[in-house]
Amino acid sequence: MTRKSQHWLAVTGLALAATVALAGCVSTGGAGSSAAVTKDAAGPLVLQSRFTGAEKSGLEAVIKAFDKKGEGKVQLNSLPTTTFDTQLPSYLTSKNPPDVYTWYAGQATRDFADQGLLLNLSDVWKKSLGNYSSALKTLSSTSSGEQVFVPSDYYWWGVYYSKSEFKKLGITPPKTWNDFLTDSAKIKAQGVTPITMGLSDNSWLAAAWFDYLDLRINGAKYHLALLAGKHSYDSAPVRKVFAAMKQILPDLSPSILGTSYNQSISDLSTGNAAMYLAGAFIETAVPTAERKDLGFFQFPIIDPSVPVSEEAPTDGFMVSAKTTRPTLAKEFLEFAASAKGQSLLLNGEDGISLAVNPSATQTMDALSTQGKNMLQSASQVTQFFNRDAGDAQQTPADTALTQFIAEPNNLDAILKAWQASAVKLRAGS
Amino acid sequence: MFVLVLVPFVIEAVGVFWPAIQGVMLSVLNWNGIAPAKAVGLGNYVSLASDPIFITALKNTAIWIVLFGGLSFVGGLGIALLFQSERRGVGIYRTALFLPIVFSLVVTALIWDTFFQPTGILNGLLNAVGLHSWTHEWLADPSTALYAIIVAALWREIGYVMVLFIAGLKALDPAIAEAAKMDGCTRWQQFRYITFPQLRSVNLVILSVLVIDSLRSFDIVWAMTAGGPFNSTQLLSTYMYSTAFQGRQLGYASAIAVVIFVLALGVIITYLVRALSEEKES
Repeated sequence: MTRKSQHWLAVTGLALAATVALAGCVSTGGAGSSAAVTKDAAGPLVLQSRFTGAEKSGLEAVIKAFDKKGEGKVQLNSLPTTTFDTQLPSYLTSKNPPDVYTWYAGQATRDFADQGLLLNLSDVWKKSLGNYSSALKTLSSTSSGEQVFVPSDYYWWGVYYSKSEFKKLGITPPKTWNDFLTDSAKIKAQGVTPITMGLSDNSWLAAAWFDYLDLRINGAKYHLALLAGKHSYDSAPVRKVFAAMKQILPDLSPSILGTSYNQSISDLSTGNAAMYLAGAFIETAVPTAERKDLGFFQFPIIDPSVPVSEEAPTDGFMVSAKTTRPTLAKEFLEFAASAKGQSLLLNGEDGISLAVNPSATQTMDALSTQGKNMLQSASQVTQFFNRDAGDAQQTPADTALTQFIAEPNNLDAILKAWQASAVKLRAGS
Repeated sequence: MFVLVLVPFVIEAVGVFWPAIQGVMLSVLNWNGIAPAKAVGLGNYVSLASDPIFITALKNTAIWIVLFGGLSFVGGLGIALLFQSERRGVGIYRTALFLPIVFSLVVTALIWDTFFQPTGILNGLLNAVGLHSWTHEWLADPSTALYAIIVAALWREIGYVMVLFIAGLKALDPAIAEAAKMDGCTRWQQFRYITFPQLRSVNLVILSVLVIDSLRSFDIVWAMTAGGPFNSTQLLSTYMYSTAFQGRQLGYASAIAVVIFVLALGVIITYLVRALSEEKES
């Protein structure tokens, strides 16, 4: 070995040793407060996004228009949702985090805000979001009344079906639970699977059934309290939800637990399965030629005395408390939330979500108009299981629901295990 | 010369020792990665003992080691014995069996996932030969899912073990086998008393490779079932991952990691002690 390479090795060794000394241990303490930054750091605003599909092109249109204004540049990093969701806590607690993030409104955002990880965006709301609904403001606020989230768009859930297949089967979209069950039996009698879902790789979709049955049977107020941990899953009201779910088990595709999302979409578009409880995102999965044939109906009413509420998951942006470009971040969010920004975002998104800004102009197709009207007439909207309960609570829910589909007679043990996991997760966080 | 020791030591310290110590330290905390951590002492270990998913994962890991490790060993050895001699066309068979090793485990998972789908090739074949009642949702039924994944994992591992055994068999002195044959040994006797004992050192290497491969199995399970349906295919490794990154319970997940570490360490120490004592004997 030459002298030179020995010297190089020694330097590397020292550098590594210094890194150990400096990096210290994993910081298990709280995040602490953000430093008061007076002037933005140089360089582009880093926007970390979980969208890789149709939503991405909408976001790109907004960024392009913002860049043209000359206030600063935005750098978009798009990651697959599963990667993004897993890494988000690491981003937010790192020393030099990305500045802006796409995220879910509600508890999922509050979990981070409670730890002081998010930038207070109240002045953005005061300055530019005056025309937003008060429901959206509440959804974007922490328990202490600060806004930490700027919503961008929301979408609806419904029971999707193919219009031509329904015609062939002689079915008109049912309005009540009893009609729904009757229609399912009619569909099944003709050799078609009434209900499908892609649970083998997207088991979270089963939570949509839980959410909607709970909303229709016990109402939104109880549902949100249950998800917030104020009631037990091992209780009489939840048993009522599972009793209703048991009614549809024979109508589910017999291989539902082994069906992938792609397979389930193909089953729906080829007429092997008739109905699919899904969010508007399902529209982009169906081949373009068949999209015109796609329709959806509101989740059937079970108890007319329960006020009708709907799922309306709201997406938007939050900013790291440690951003070094707070002024630019706020300017970007104001633009993204403006009527112009919203129009660019939504028109790039292929008609699967709705603008939150009432003055935005959006090209609406028949389904988005129907979705918007449905949500506007709802007495209350909820987000979705993981957004209302906190993201970590999704896994035990998936376990309980898929196990119930396979072992409906094991309900007691399933609910007991679900409640125990939920409590353990809350205690551990 | 000091530098030559220092550099690997520092790299090892930064990359292995320090994270390992951190892992043990984390295992006595309740921490979700964002809020301040709470010290809970041995609380995480106590909850592990009564956690039904952990017990399932432990049981599945044991099944995995026995079936995946055992069948890889037996299958690899059997195929190596079959294909050790140079005959015309044997190279094609060896290559075919070794071929799956070029796929990453995630790709292997994708291939077998398609094979096991409810409307996939396996059920198609069963229907074609009239065995309708044998068709199954292989990956969605808790009673078959783990075994279906083991089949996929074996498909890749057996070729690897075969190559190791062929290398071992080639190194044996053919004169001994020849002598045994002259003395009238049956094929079984020749294998049992001549070939197998000579493979002892190769066996030890393969056994330790298999145990380590079994304990670190994660990717193929995660890609095929992610531990589902309803946690029935969780291994210790997949349960650790889902606890840490889906449930955000970093302390609890670290406790599982410590258990995996202790198990792996136990295996390695047993192996080293045996290997060393046998070396002394000989």
